[in-house]
Amino acid sequence: MTTSGLGKALDDPPAAPAAVVAPADVAPVPDTGAPSDDFERLRELLLGGERRELAAARARITELERTQQDLPRRLPGAAVEALRSGKENARVADALSEPVAQALGSAVQKNRESIVDALFPIIGPMIRKAIAEALRGLVANLNGAIESSFTLRGLQWRLEAWRGGVPYAQVVLKHRLAYGIDHVFLIERGSGLVLRHASAPGQPPLDADAIAGMLTALGDFVDDSVGDDSGGSLDAAQVGEDLVWVEHGPRANLACFMHGVPPVELRALLEQRLEEIHAQVLAMPADTPLRAIGDNALVQDLLDPQNLLRDAGDAAAPIAARTTSRAPIVVIALLALALVGWFAVDRWRWNTRIETLRAQLVAQPGFVLGRIEAKPWRSLVVHGLLDPDAPPLAPLLDAADLGKVVPKLDATGYVSTDDAVIARRATRLLAPPPTVTLAVHERVLALGGQAPAQWIDNAAQHAAWIAGVARVESTLVAEVDGVVAARAELHRVLATLDGIVVPFVQDGEPGADAGRITDAVATTLKRATALAVVAKQHLAITVFGSNDNSGGSEANARVRAVRAQWLALALAARGFDGARTSDEAGPGAPNMRAAYVRAVVEVAP
Amino acid sequence: MATHKVCMLGDFGVGKTSLVARYVRSTFSDKYLTTVGVKVDSKEVVLADGGALKLVLWDIAGRSALDAPSANYLRGASALLLVADGTREGSLTSALKLLMQSRSSLPDAFAVLAVNKLDLVARWEVAPATLAELRRSLPVFETSALSGAGVEQAFAEIAARLHA
Repeated sequence: MTTSGLGKALDDPPAAPAAVVAPADVAPVPDTGAPSDDFERLRELLLGGERRELAAARARITELERTQQDLPRRLPGAAVEALRSGKENARVADALSEPVAQALGSAVQKNRESIVDALFPIIGPMIRKAIAEALRGLVANLNGAIESSFTLRGLQWRLEAWRGGVPYAQVVLKHRLAYGIDHVFLIERGSGLVLRHASAPGQPPLDADAIAGMLTALGDFVDDSVGDDSGGSLDAAQVGEDLVWVEHGPRANLACFMHGVPPVELRALLEQRLEEIHAQVLAMPADTPLRAIGDNALVQDLLDPQNLLRDAGDAAAPIAARTTSRAPIVVIALLALALVGWFAVDRWRWNTRIETLRAQLVAQPGFVLGRIEAKPWRSLVVHGLLDPDAPPLAPLLDAADLGKVVPKLDATGYVSTDDAVIARRATRLLAPPPTVTLAVHERVLALGGQAPAQWIDNAAQHAAWIAGVARVESTLVAEVDGVVAARAELHRVLATLDGIVVPFVQDGEPGADAGRITDAVATTLKRATALAVVAKQHLAITVFGSNDNSGGSEANARVRAVRAQWLALALAARGFDGARTSDEAGPGAPNMRAAYVRAVVEVAP
Repeated sequence: MATHKVCMLGDFGVGKTSLVARYVRSTFSDKYLTTVGVKVDSKEVVLADGGALKLVLWDIAGRSALDAPSANYLRGASALLLVADGTREGSLTSALKLLMQSRSSLPDAFAVLAVNKLDLVARWEVAPATLAELRRSLPVFETSALSGAGVEQAFAEIAARLHA
């Protein structure tokens, strides 16, 4: 209201100079004493307050203008100061976000090259880092997911990695990257109806019409939603491990459903196939419906998944078509067979030896086999009952030939009634002399031969008490005095020496039978010497030489000495060296060229 | 075997998907799931004369007027099954509007009208006289996806006409 009133007052002629507009008009007017003084007073009365406010506002505007003019110089510093301030930071950032975004967008539109040049050093490393992280994650996921799986396919891949000497993850990637064609659709472009559908062998049946329809609808949706005037359309789609490639033609589309990672050559091949199919369409009569193209044999051949795989190149062939060498498998199989064979033979050898040992132990008198605790080629313990008088088992166990295994015997004592053990027990207890025979048959102890009367009496008393003996049968004969018998035998033996001479041809040259006769003499002397010991007598053996009547006495004495010396040496060579020699003609010396022995029995000292 | 594309057209919630489910799989669910875009099914039909053909059913998302994406879905269709909800008279108007719009791209397509939800006939807003009037222009079937009433007949009519 005040402003309106002021405006109305200023519209009057006295106020025409518009004091509000011109600052000079605001300055006090000199007092001239004229009517203008009244006017000024009136103005002061009416407009004094407003004029003062106007003057203050003008001064403020002047200050603001000065500040505005100084703003470009102060703005960077003020902005930095504001951003450093924790309280003002958020406000400044919020205030700047919108203009900065707009400025960036404007800069991208107006000066794209500069923006690209500025961002290039940053974007490159960022992309590389992102790719590296993605690949690392992929490999880690594959390893983690499949290493923990024990599926047959996982085991096959592990075997393949082991055979090839490559990391398991690499094999997994290779198989994942291998591809195969599952289904091929030739679809009428407009209606989405199936013109031809072919599936790879082993694929489960599917509703080809519905799939072709949905694929067409999806293509229409993509085309309508994000397609542009350049004719962009749905060329590929991927769901999980399944991939769909769509080739578009003027009359029909070709859709190929695959798994794995197909090569780019396949894409070009699909395009080529679709062109060939359209050529077939053009060759059809004008009134033939498009749907008849599916019955064309050439088209069917062109759309066969196996043919597509084959033509896409062997390098990109799926894993199913790849042939692998069977040699490693054969080698592994042979090694496994050899290992099993060796194991079987080794076990057979051990079992054979154990069974042989078992049979021997069972047949062993005085031992009852309990069980054999055996670990092949590692340990063997024989458990059973053993009679102390049984034959020792150690030789049997040592002869088992069990390699490095030392058999152990875990035996408990018992008394055996086996005849052989009874005989050993009787021998140990009776200690029969060599002239006594001892035998056990069906627990009957038979004693025979000669023995001193005292031993016979002792045996008669104790034999029946020997463990296991049921009855004793004795044919023992008390033997005569041994010394007397030996002396008689000694004299009989020595008597055989009488008349035995070793013939000589000439001087010290022995006759033809000298050697044989000397052998007999030596044997007889040894026998006599042994008997003399038993007979407690001493033998004096003298070797004499003899001669015929020819020659002189001295010559004969020398010849006799030579011949006696020869015989003594010959006897020594045959093991009897207790004879002395004499050059005298002995008692009853024969009248011939010979040497002979005479023995004299003396009472032993 | 000849294959024909049949498009289901109608306002949302009139029961197009339920009619297809009843016809193709003999199932019904009272749980409403709106169709996004289109859902395609197929069914082989054996006709009374022993002939056979396959119907590829495009269940297009419900709408009261044809837009560009829906018009694209109609390409190559041999027949239209217009579906209206008897309890909503407006859906009948939408179905007829859709029929008029589709004629520009499908002038020769055979059209059948299915007025659905016969099981709720007590709540129908569509007057019998209206249906009688419509029957002079196109085959009209009163259907129920819930009970299956009239469903086979509607599709059989389409199959017979396409086979002829």
